[in-house]
This record gives sequence, structure tokens and C-alpha cells, in this order.
Amino acid sequence: MAGRKCRVRFNVGGKIFETTATTLANAGRNSMLGALLDESWNVRQPEEAEYFIDRNPACFAVLLDLLRTGELHIPPNMPEKLLFREALFYGLLDKVRAARWGAFDGNRLHLASSVSGRAPGDGTAIRAGPEGGCCVAHGSMVHVYDWMLEAHPPISLDFQQVNDVGYIDAGSIVITARERLGKGDGGMGVFSASTGELRHRFRVTHYDQVKSFTAGALSFSNADRKIFTSCKGRCNEYGIAVWDQDTGEQVDFFYEQLDCSLGDADKLQWLDADKCLMVATLFPRRDTSFIGLLDFRAKGVVWSWSDANASVSASLDEKRVLHATAVEETRSICVVNQYDDLGFIDLRSHAGGVRWSSRSKLMNRKAPNEESCYPKLATHDGQLFCSMNDGISVFCGPEWVLTSTLRRSFGGSICDFSIGGDRLFALHSEENVFDVWETPSSPII
Amino acid sequence: MSAQKRRTFKIEAFKHRVEIDPKYAERTWKVLEHAIHEIYNHNASGLSFEELYRNAYNMVLHKYGEKLYSGLVTTMTGHLKEIAKSIEDAQGSLFLEELDRKWGEHNKALQMIRDIMMYMDRTFVPSSGRTPVHDLGLNLWRDNIIHSSKIQSRLLDTLLDLIHRERKGEVINRGLMRNITKMLMDLGPVYQEDFEKPFLEVSASFYSGESQQLIECCDCGEYLRKAEKRLSEETERVSHYLDSASEVKITSVVEGEMIANHMQRLVHMENSGLVNMLVDDKYEDLARMYSLFRRVTDGLSTIRDVMTAHLRETGRQLVSDPEKLKDPVDFVQHLLDEKDKYDMIISKSFNNDKTFQNALNSSFEYFINLNNRSPEFISLYVDDKLRKGLKGVTEEDVEVVLDKVMMLFRYLQEKDVFEKYYKQHLAKRLLSGKTVSDDVERSMIVKLKTECGYQFTSKLEGMFTDMKTSVDTLQGFYASQHAEIGDGPTLAVQVLTTGSWPTQPSPPCNLPPEIIGICEKFRTYYLGTHTGRRLTWQTNMGTADIKATFGKGQKHELNVSTYQMCILMLFNSAERLSYKEIEQATEIPASDLKRCLQSLACVKGKNVLRKEPMSKDIAEDDAFYFNDKFTSKFIKVKIGTVAAQKESEPEKQETRQRVEEDRKPQIEAAIVRIMKSRRVLDHNTIVTEVTSQLQSRFLPNPVVIKKRIESLIEREFLERDKADRKLYRYLA
Repeated sequence: MAGRKCRVRFNVGGKIFETTATTLANAGRNSMLGALLDESWNVRQPEEAEYFIDRNPACFAVLLDLLRTGELHIPPNMPEKLLFREALFYGLLDKVRAARWGAFDGNRLHLASSVSGRAPGDGTAIRAGPEGGCCVAHGSMVHVYDWMLEAHPPISLDFQQVNDVGYIDAGSIVITARERLGKGDGGMGVFSASTGELRHRFRVTHYDQVKSFTAGALSFSNADRKIFTSCKGRCNEYGIAVWDQDTGEQVDFFYEQLDCSLGDADKLQWLDADKCLMVATLFPRRDTSFIGLLDFRAKGVVWSWSDANASVSASLDEKRVLHATAVEETRSICVVNQYDDLGFIDLRSHAGGVRWSSRSKLMNRKAPNEESCYPKLATHDGQLFCSMNDGISVFCGPEWVLTSTLRRSFGGSICDFSIGGDRLFALHSEENVFDVWETPSSPII
Repeated sequence: MSAQKRRTFKIEAFKHRVEIDPKYAERTWKVLEHAIHEIYNHNASGLSFEELYRNAYNMVLHKYGEKLYSGLVTTMTGHLKEIAKSIEDAQGSLFLEELDRKWGEHNKALQMIRDIMMYMDRTFVPSSGRTPVHDLGLNLWRDNIIHSSKIQSRLLDTLLDLIHRERKGEVINRGLMRNITKMLMDLGPVYQEDFEKPFLEVSASFYSGESQQLIECCDCGEYLRKAEKRLSEETERVSHYLDSASEVKITSVVEGEMIANHMQRLVHMENSGLVNMLVDDKYEDLARMYSLFRRVTDGLSTIRDVMTAHLRETGRQLVSDPEKLKDPVDFVQHLLDEKDKYDMIISKSFNNDKTFQNALNSSFEYFINLNNRSPEFISLYVDDKLRKGLKGVTEEDVEVVLDKVMMLFRYLQEKDVFEKYYKQHLAKRLLSGKTVSDDVERSMIVKLKTECGYQFTSKLEGMFTDMKTSVDTLQGFYASQHAEIGDGPTLAVQVLTTGSWPTQPSPPCNLPPEIIGICEKFRTYYLGTHTGRRLTWQTNMGTADIKATFGKGQKHELNVSTYQMCILMLFNSAERLSYKEIEQATEIPASDLKRCLQSLACVKGKNVLRKEPMSKDIAEDDAFYFNDKFTSKFIKVKIGTVAAQKESEPEKQETRQRVEEDRKPQIEAAIVRIMKSRRVLDHNTIVTEVTSQLQSRFLPNPVVIKKRIESLIEREFLERDKADRKLYRYLA
């Protein structure tokens, strides 16, 4: 009796499926199947109940298999889009996404897709969203893609140059823009990822006066619900502005001090363990590179490094730091120079210089006539990623040994890349193509 | 013809392919609307979920999301208005039950409607920025039911009335209350705005009234008990049917109304206030007062202030009560008892609160130093305990007593005065062999040492060393002399180092010839073994045991002082001697002589001499006789010296003066130390620094410091700055 009651019979578009209540419970109450079986809809249930659903039986089979095993196997003749549509009907789209690709591992990545953009020429930045989507900034436009890599209405900024973009959550994108002289625009706003509408405009006040500003690099602290932006005002109001993610109000402003340039930083990175913000202002934006850690509680620069004294001759042959990322696990900052050398600066000492690492020298495959891009660095889960020309190198372990290289044959140099939502997005400079790299789900055994 | 053949071309607008029946949306919506009606009418069993879901899905898919959503709002609003009516019509106590029942039904219906509209919730709602279906259902309930004019105030009144009745002791349906408040909480800020705020206001006025009433008819202890009960009742109420966040708010209302507003009155309540509790050791009431008052601002400081004032007042009375001053031991015992009492109260009732302990200490410090004889009395108390009081008491208990005394000692500002007296009393104990236990004496010295440092006790320790070496010396003396000493008197000498002992140089009296002989032998022996020393006899401090035979051949052993021995020995050769004759023969200083004679002739039972005329006091022209008729039932008779243990007024003055003299070099040394390191200082800073340096020993008087500075200027240790007369410079 009990066993029979646990069996559930479906007629989907004419095809009969039988499964168990346990399997269906995996769908959750907040799904169409969960509601269908809920007792409030089954008050007068006949003994041999058969649920009719007027949908595509092939897709139902795939989704039922997903509920049974947690794995997603799409038959080659079934368009992805069709399956996604059916999953949305049943309220199982999130489960499909979760089963679509595995947990991120830099050494097991495979190229899942290459998406051609609409705008030719240089992209400014690419940013990964928390749920597998991404956005690409070109000039004054930001193209938004969801995790199914479907393009949403682009965000257009009325010819203002976009400086940086970032996600607050899967549905909200922050964009920083350059101010145009005499227009009083620029600044920064939150846009809806699905419709491209402006939801909120951030304002900067100095001594109770609202000022227009140019917003640069962005960073987020999700634990503290804060947004950090490097800002340049008209009257030397340079510094780092801090906003609340929820209210959108300015909560702090860290003014630029002598010997540390904050207002036009290349990169901001929030360090959760230290509750500090790394600010890096680097060559060629400035002649001298500066990296500092800001502590907003102590209102001070608690650690800093600069090559101001080292580069007396300022010759082009010298090793110039071009990009930086903090590696919280080893309490150091990783930097890269124009010769593809990786270098490390110890965060625990205040006097240390850059320790250039020869072992992890990047592979230089530069073709002579190819336009090159500045290298970029990123870390994720103890792995270090560095873009150089048309490839991305992955370094692991305490000695940062090169363990994988991600490369594709066309598209030219990689001008930016970003890791998030268990995916790596790499934007190429020449063809306006971005690549999506995923980790496949775990092997069967 | 051609005209006829002309065909007219008509260009029609290109017709889009009609995707669906234009009435499709309306028809589909009717189905859904009907379903919503059925759900609200508990008639959902005939509905097919799959069909309804598909219909709602199709409406959204075909861009009728807007219509679906607004239709839902309208339909649900209509039902809620009907529900509102039925709740309004509920009579009396059925009102809450009806509200609760309808709320349950609405929730159930809402869940089913949400199931149908799930696809809309997932796609249309977020992209159009609408409220999700569940929240929409709650908002509509709030607007149509809770905020309906006929329900809002009635609901609030009912809830507040029930709580009021429960406060008055009635039993109410707590389950129902919990359901209703839970509903208000589910509706978000409604709980705070529509219920909590008025609830707190009503509670405030209730407790304001009740506290007013209680304070008129209860004593303090009872009032506090009732307040405590009310607080725990409110906490319990919150745990049963209110939001846990309300606990802090309601308890702070009760605290404010019942305690903070009546604090002064409670503390000062006649016959039962704080002072009475302290006097009667009402630990429980005091603990209750402490735990209640600590909840409100300034609560504890109020208790503390009253306790301090009371302590200071009783302390002041204690130290200035002339009756108490008569017996120093009793006086100190009273202080100790008082301290014990309050220590107990603080530990039992005041949670060992540091601030209370500090208040207690500062109060004791205040009143102990009101009486400048306190150092002397404390030393006397120790003297008493170490002489006899501690007989038959275990080591630990002695330590306890001594520790307590040390506590009082810590309060003393004039520690050097205590030292002076302690030295005197210790000397007396040592010389007369009255100390009960060497260990206890030493333990007391160790305590003083840890408290005040090495300097403070070095001389006291010296006294112990002297006692020990004297025993050795004497043994050596008798070992060398045993052949020559026959049955002459036995001599016991204690060699005291000058400076370590509180001796006043007093001219030696004329010793009887029998004694002088052996004394000379000892002197020769001692100086023979220790070259370069000088011996002076301190005849005023010695004792002697002599045998005396009275009439009828009665034999007694008399225990007397050296002076008394000298006097008695004179009567071996004379029957009658006048005061003048005795004075001449012995050369004992007049005050001592008078005291000796008084103890020999005027004390009943110990009057080995007879005086003429018979009177209590000794006059210059009195005559003394050997009292042949002396009897005593003891063989050994101890004849004490009539000497007040407590110092007499002139002696006190003298000690005082000596203390002042001793302080002078200490103050000067402090000034020089400070000036040496600081070179230039103004007057006030010197005074502060000197005071802080010497605080551990005594509190120097600024006037005295000024005098010392002047003296140092005279002796050219310091000079006044030529430009600024307030500045002093160090000269070296």
C-alpha cells in the first residue's frame, strides 16, 4: 500500500512516465511538480492517479533524469534552448544550471563556448556574474549575457566611456563611467541585468556638497555589503568612495594622500581576511607604480609598496609592474611585468621589494606582427591566473608552477578575463569574441 | 471600355498572422478567476492544477502577464473585503477566533494561488518589478483586513484588553494570542506600528499606576518583590505570545515605571529602606534591590551613594564615640566587625561588585583616619592578640585575624605612626617575654613587609635578631663564669642595638650592690668578646624575681620591675623610708618612681609596702613601711606597674612630636630625590610629588613640606629661581 502510494505516474504529451515521490521531491516545493503533488491539490485523489501534463515528453525525460541523478545529459538532437524553456516551465531552470557545469578548477577547464559580439574592436572589460552570466564593456555600451549565454538588452550610457563594471548580484550590474567635461555626467549607477534599466545613481558628496565625478576601478565586499570605487572629482577630490550595497548611499570617502595615488587606481581588491582594500595604481597609467592596503577602520594606509625610488633612470627596459592581485592564502601580492615575469611582494613585511620568480616565467609565444595586450592577473581558490597575449596560464602550489594553459586559435590577444560563477570568461581584443571556460562535471567513477 | 476595364487596385495593410483567438486571454482569465473563487470557497477539489498552471503559463507567455497580475489583485481584494465583513460581524470574543480562522484560510488559499501563478512569479514579476504573489497576498490582507477602519482599533483594543486581564490575574487563551501576534509579525512592520507601540504605551500607564499604588502601601522589600515578579511575568508573556524583540522594550518600560521613577523613594523609605536593610543584614532584599536597580541607569550609583553615606556616618560615630575610645581592643574589634558585615553584604547581595568594594574601602579610609589615634589602637589590638588573645587558636585563625588587621592597616594614612607604636608594643612584648608565638610575630612582620617594603620592617626584624643573640651571649657568659658565681642573684641580660629599639635614654638608677657586682662581670665579659662597643643599662625596662619573707614566716616570690626591685631591696635594711630618701637612694626619675610606689603600696592584694598617709596618690612627703601583714594565696605574686596600656595624654603628645620629627628627614629626602631628577620645579608640583612618594607611609602636610623646602634653601640644597619666585632650582 505504502509502496504503491509512493509511485507516481505521468502522462506527458501522450508518453507515460513512472517515477517515485522521492525523486520528485528533489524538484522542491517551489516547482511545478512540487505543487502538482502537494496535498492541497490532491484532496480527492483517485487510487490510480495519472497526472497529465501537456508538454514535450523528450525534454521531460531529460529533466526527470536530472531529478533522479542530479546529472544533466542533453541528447545531441535536442536544442539547448528547447530544454531550457521546458525547464523554466517546470521551475527547474536553476537545477539545470547547477548541473550544467562543475565546480571551478583551473586545471580541468574546457572551452564551452565562444560568443561573438556585435561591436568590432577593443573591449574594455569583461566581468563574470555570480550565476554564470557575464557582461562585456565596449566604449559606452555594456552587453549583458545570462548563464545560457543569451544576450539581454544592452546597457547604453549615452556616449560616456565605461571604465569598469561589476555585479552586485545576478540581477544587478554596477557601471562606472568617465565624466565628460562640462556635462556633469559620469559617475556610477546600478542597472538591471535583465532589462538594462537604470535603477540607482550613486552620488558623491564632499563636505555636504554633491559633486560630479569620474568613477574608475570597482571592488565589492559581499560580507560587509559595501562597494568601493576609485573616484576623481573636479577639484582634486581624489580617493576611494565607499557605498552601501543595499541603500546605495555613500558611507565613507578615503581621500588620496601624498605618495599614494588612489583616485585613478587600476585595480581594487577587497581582502576579506584582513578587512582591507588593496589599491594598485600602475604603469603606464602612472610613471611610478603604487600598491597599498587601506584599512577603513583605522582610516589609514596600513601597508604600501612603490617603485618610486627604484626606477631612477625610468628607462623602458626596466621591469615595470603592469598588473597586480593579492593572494590572500600566502599573504602576498602577485605582480607581473612586461617580460612576463611573475613577482611577489610579501604583505607581512613593510620593507620588502618584489621577489621576481624565474621558475614561473610565462611562456612567451608572441607573434611578431600581433598586437599585444597588457597582461592581467587573477586568483581563485589558491590558483593563480595570468593572461599574456592569446593565452591564459594557470599556476598552482606553493612555488606557483605553471600547470595549465588555456589557448584558442583565433581572436587575437586576450585583453581581459574574469572568473566567477564557476566559469572563466576571456575577452579577445581583435575579433570581439569572448570564450567561456567551464569545468566539466565530475567523472562517473 | 478601357475605363471599364480599369481595375482598381486596393492596397490593404499587411495582415499579421493571428496567433491566437483574441478572446483567448479573456477566456483563460475567466478559468483562473473561477479557480480563485473556488479556492476561497473551499471548493478546490474539483480543480486541475495542471490545467490552471498551464493557463497561467500561457497568459504570461503570450504577453498577458499584466492582465493576469491585475486580475489577481482585483479578485483577491474582492474576497478579502468579504472576509473583512464576516470578521467585523463576529460578536464579542468570537472576533479574534474568526480573525484567526480566516487568516489560516487566507494563507492556505494564498499558497494554492501562488502555485498556479508560479510561472508568473518566476518570470513576469521580477522583470516588471512587481511584488511577488505571496507578499502581495500579505499586503492585501494588511490593507483590507488589519487596516480596515472597523477592525484595526477593535483588534488593538481586544489584544490590549486581554493582556490587561491577564495582568490582573485572569487566564486567557494564550494560543489564540500567539496566532494573532504571529500574524502581525508575518505582516512585517505591522506588529511594531499597530501593536507594539500602543502596547508599550498602555503598559507604561498600567505600571505607572500600579507602582504608585504599591509604593503607598508596601514596604521597600515587598515592593521590590512585586516588581521582580512583574518583570518575570512580562518576560514570560513575551516568550509565550509576543515577538522576542519586544522583551527588551517591555522590560525597560517596567523597569522605568516601577524602579527608575521611584528609586529615591524606595531607597530612602522609612523603616524599610536601604539603610534598614543594611543594618538588619537583609541579604535577600539587598540582592533583589541590586539586581533590579542595576537594570536602570544610575540605579547602582544610587545604592552605592546611600550605602557610602550611611557607612561614613556610622563610622564617624564609631571612631568619635568616647565610650568606644576607652577600650582600644574593643574599638578595633568594632571596626573589624563592621568591615566583616559589609564584606558579607557585598559578597552575598551585591554580586561582589568591584565598585561597591571600592566604595566600602574609601568609606573606611575616610573614617578611620578621622581619629588620629587609630594607628595606636590598631597596634594595641595586635598587641593584645599576640599577648594572650590567640592562645588555643589555630595558626590559620591567627592568620585570618592578622589579615583583617592588615586590611585596616591599609586604610591608615599615617602608617609611620603605626610603625612607631608597633615598635614600642613589640619591644614590650619581647622584653617582657609575653609573646605567645614567635611564628605569629614573624608572620605579622612579613605581612607588614609585603605591604610597606623592606625599610618599614628592618628595625622590627633587628629586634628579633637582638633577642636571639642575647640568649647566646648569656649562655656564653654563664659558661665562662660558672665557677665564680655562687648563690648570688641570676642575671638575664638582653643586649639591644641602639636605634632598633624604641628606647628613650634614661639615666640608670642606682642598683643594689648585690646586682652591681654581677653586672660588672657581665660588662667585662661582653666587652671582652665584642671590642669597640658600649653598654648602657636600661634599668627602666628590666624585670626581677625576688623572694620576700613576711611576718609569720610567709614566703612569697615577687615578680617586679627593676625599679621596684631597687626600692624593695632598700627595705632589707630599713623599716621606714620617706619618699625623699627613696628618691635619693635609687635616683629613679620622679614619674617612674611615683608609679612604682603606687603599684607597690596602693594596689589591693599586692601592697607589699604600706604608705602613710593612706591615699591613692603618691605625694612628695609620704612615708613608706614594709608591710609585714601582707598575705596572698599565691606563692608567686606579680606586681605590675600602674601603667595605662593606652598612652596618657602627655605621652601621646610626645609620640606625636617624635613622629613629626621623624617625618622631617623623610620629607627632605623626598624633596631632594625629586629635585635631583627634575632640576627645576614649581612649588605645587613638588608638593604633589612628595605627597605621592610618601603616601604609602603617611600623608605629609603641605605646610610642613613648605617648611622643609625653606630649610633646604637655607642649607643651600635648593634656591629660588631669580626670575620666577615660584620656581625652585636644585643646587649640586
